[in-house]
Formats: sequence, structure tokens, C-alpha cells
Amino acid sequence: MAIVATTQPTSTSLIGSSPGVRARKLADQVATVVLWLMASSIILLLALFIVYMFYLGARYLTPSFIFGMPAETSAGGGVGPEIYNSFYILILTLIFTVPISTAAGVYLQEYARPGRFRELVVFSAESLATIPSIVMGLFGLLVFVYLFKWKFTALGGALTLTLLNLPALMRVTQEALKSVPDTYREASMGMGATRWQTVVNVVLPSAIGRMTTGIVLIAGRIFGETAALIFTAGLSVSTNAPYDLNPFHTAETLAVHLWYTHTESIVPDVDRIGNGSALVLLIMVLVFNVVARVGGRALSKRLTGRPT
Amino acid sequence: MIEAAPPISTKEKITARDVDIYYGAFHAIKSANLKMAENSVTALIGPSGCGKSTFLRSLNRMHDLTPGARVTGEILLDGTNIYGADADPVVIRHRIGMVFQRPNPFPKTIFENVVYGPKIHGETNQTKLHELCERSLKQAALWEEVKDRLDRSALDLSGGQQQRLCIARVLAVNPEVILMDEPASALDPIATSKIEDLIGELKSQYTVVIVTHSMQQAARISDTTAFFHLGEIVEVGTTNQIFTNPREKRTEDYITGRFG
Repeated sequence: MAIVATTQPTSTSLIGSSPGVRARKLADQVATVVLWLMASSIILLLALFIVYMFYLGARYLTPSFIFGMPAETSAGGGVGPEIYNSFYILILTLIFTVPISTAAGVYLQEYARPGRFRELVVFSAESLATIPSIVMGLFGLLVFVYLFKWKFTALGGALTLTLLNLPALMRVTQEALKSVPDTYREASMGMGATRWQTVVNVVLPSAIGRMTTGIVLIAGRIFGETAALIFTAGLSVSTNAPYDLNPFHTAETLAVHLWYTHTESIVPDVDRIGNGSALVLLIMVLVFNVVARVGGRALSKRLTGRPT
Repeated sequence: MIEAAPPISTKEKITARDVDIYYGAFHAIKSANLKMAENSVTALIGPSGCGKSTFLRSLNRMHDLTPGARVTGEILLDGTNIYGADADPVVIRHRIGMVFQRPNPFPKTIFENVVYGPKIHGETNQTKLHELCERSLKQAALWEEVKDRLDRSALDLSGGQQQRLCIARVLAVNPEVILMDEPASALDPIATSKIEDLIGELKSQYTVVIVTHSMQQAARISDTTAFFHLGEIVEVGTTNQIFTNPREKRTEDYITGRFG
């Protein structure tokens, strides 16, 4: 085949010294530096944030603050029950959210054929996802507090948070399942496995790593949620505090307490409680993140023979 | 030079009768008829897009998993139509196993990969599972290479080892027929020759149907060859006859490299 050579360089030199080549190389180097700086700035921002939070709050992290009871009017209150309630409501919420969202995600990704019902499920989930948390909180107030006459309860708060986080976690499940190669499904079903056996034995174990990541992100949101909990789980801790297991008792979380002390409370040491609570909240999120990832990796290794 | 093929069993294991396959409006296979004899290797050859893989996948109802795919006609396994009203794909795929083009071990340990099939079919006895694992890996000529690391991830194996693992995984469910869709196309020559040797040994116990784009491979390992072109089976014959004395002009053009 004849080559029409009009763009070939006339020089046979391999040294890129022509102005065009130099300009392109310079642009490439500049881009590399700029992109690196942008990426590093994320690390820097997080580091600055954490350092600043420690600077503001570290001195308040005494045992009496972390484990003590909150005070209504005087200085020196602690956040013991609030820390406990944050975990309690998180776990309650996950108990409801994870099975439902996993099942719905599995249905949509593995079972549903395109059609009316599937569209309706997706539409409902997307609509749920767009509802602001304060509106969801008011809905929880109407249903759980007034209609069911539960008053302010940990359960009402957890159910409200379930509604709030269900769509996101369903999406996470769906994306995680989508990332599992079809060749696994073919191999499994090609040996005579049913769709259910394939999902349980191959697809879900392969997706567990990504699903853990999704749950960690959702957990961070649950720890930080206030608007949906103010009218459902309440602004005070149970009379059985600090460690009350009854889901029908009121349960103020740390994030709600942080908001409450800054807006409504009359205690004199607002800054102490605010900065201390913020730091504790940050540490809780980071610790939960690490624990969930380590746990997820261990589970993944057990199920798949090596970490993902 | 192609050696004279040993006498082949004449008992038909799988028979395709007037099989048509559609993807939506696309007519991928046009009234295919093919008899695949027991304990023999049948090779399906033809240029890319000729429908040989499509046809292979109809033999254990893998098209059930593809939305929009439709199969008409009859495929008889020991005389019973696998597309019959009361035929269960789960049972069919237990009796007719499949090895795919790209090695697709599960992200599990080597042991868990091999015993996956027996486990889903209800075998729980650990001793039995370990016996099955060893037997299947030995049959797939992989045992010596992996016997000390059965608890390691299958994904750490080389491509050729992974493909033999996938064969062992199919053998562990003890199927009667093994379908292979270009099982060596993603492998290097040494791994390929190991797979080919393995297929030669498997046919004493199993019926093998293999799709291959390599005519040399078809000539080396198969007893019967079917040539596919544009969705039709152009010619079927003993491998020896197809490669030395093709009846059809299109077959001759293909095997002599005039198109493909």
C-alpha cells in the first residue's frame, strides 16, 4: 500500500527540539504538576480540618465529658448517652436498611426484566432520594410520634433514617452488583446453579467489598444527621441513660446534641460542648470507617480467598 | 499430516434438529442440523460471526440468560428434547457443562472453585468434596501444580492454569457432555497444547463439543468437524474428510485460507 507522506518529519533526529514538540512537552509537564497539586489539596484539606478540630476540641476530651451525663442548665455536662445513642440509632437503622436495600438492589440488578414494575421501583427510590431530610423528619413526626403515639423514640428516629437512606444504599448495592463480571454468573449457571444460588454464592460475595464502602458512607451520613432526628428521636436522653437498650425511649444523638446546645440550650459552656462534641463525632466517623473497612476486608478475604 | 481417525462411537449423544436462533430480529442460526456422537470430539469451525458460538450456547440453554434471544427447533440429549415443555435448564446444565472462552474462575480459593458445582448440587460431606477436588484437578492435569495451595485464590493462577481449573470445575459436577467455547484462544502456545492434550483424554469419558477459530486445533483434536458460515452449517464430516477432501467449495475456500 502506498503511503502518502505529507506529515512525516523531514529530520531523522530523535531529539524533540522543534518548538512544537517543546510546547507540547511543557503543557504536559504543567498539567502533571497542576493535577498533582489538585489531588494533594484533598489530602491537605482533610489534614488541616482534622488538625483544627483537634486544636479546638482536644483539651475537652476528658473522661467526664466522654462518659458523663449532659447538664441542662449548669456547666460541665458530658455527652456519654449521646455517643451511645448515635451508635444505637446507627445500628438500628442499618438493621432495617441493609436487608431491604440489598434485597431491592438484588432484585433490580439480577432478577427484574425491563418493564413497568421495575420502572416503578426505580422511580419510587429516586423520589424518596430527593426528599429533604427535614421533610422526612416531619413525616416521621406525623407517623411515628402522633399516629403511632410512640412519642420521641430511638425506633422512630431509626425508621425515619431508614426511609432517608434506603434509596442511596439500594443504588450502592445495584452498582456493586453491576461491577461483578457476567462471566461469573455464566460459569455458575452453566453448571446448573439456580439464579438464587448464583446470587448467594458468587455474586454477593464478589460485591461485598463495594457494598461495605457504601455502608460506611451511609453510616457517616447517619452519624451526622440532625434534621430528620429532631422531631423523631428527640432532644433529650432517656431516663435510663446512658446505656438504654429500649428502642421506645427517647434518644438524642451526638449530632443533634451539637445542634441543640448551639441553638436552644442555656448552658454556659456551649463552646466546650460544641467543640468537644464535634471532635468526638469526627473520631467516631473515622473509627467506624476504619473498623468497617477492616471488617469488610476480612469478610471479603474469607469469601473470596484474597482481599479486594 | 492428519492421522487416520480412530473408529468413533456412532451413538448420538446430542442431536440438533432444524435449530433456528434469533437475537431480536437478527436470524443468527438458520435451520441447523447436527449429530454429535458419544465419546467423541466435535469441532465447530468457521469465520468470526458465523454463529458457531451461538449454536454451541444453545446446546445447554445458555441463551435463556440473554434477553431477546430465541431458539426454535429441537435439541435432543439422549433422545429427549432439552427445549421440551418440562425440561429444566438447571438439570440440563448439570448434565451438559460449559467451558468459556476466557478463563472465569470465581474469586474464591482453588478448592472452593472446584467443589462449587458439587456443593450447589447438595454435596456437603467434606471428605467427599476433598476427594472430588483431587480427582477433578488430576483429570484436568492441574493437581501437581496446585496441590500445596488449594486454599489460595484462584485468581493468583496463570491464565492457562485458570482455564484448566475451569475444566476441573466442570468435571467435578460429572457432566455427560462438555461444551467448550474457544477454550484456548486467550492462552499461550504451551498452555494451549496442555488444554488440547487434556481434551484428547477427556473424550474417553465425555462427549466434547468445541468451538475453535484455529483449524490446526480442530484438525489435531476432533473426530468430526462442522463448518459454519453466515449462520448455516455448510458441511459436516469426519475431520479427516473435511480437511483433506471437502465437498463444498466454501469449506475448501475457508480451510485453504481464501477467506476468514
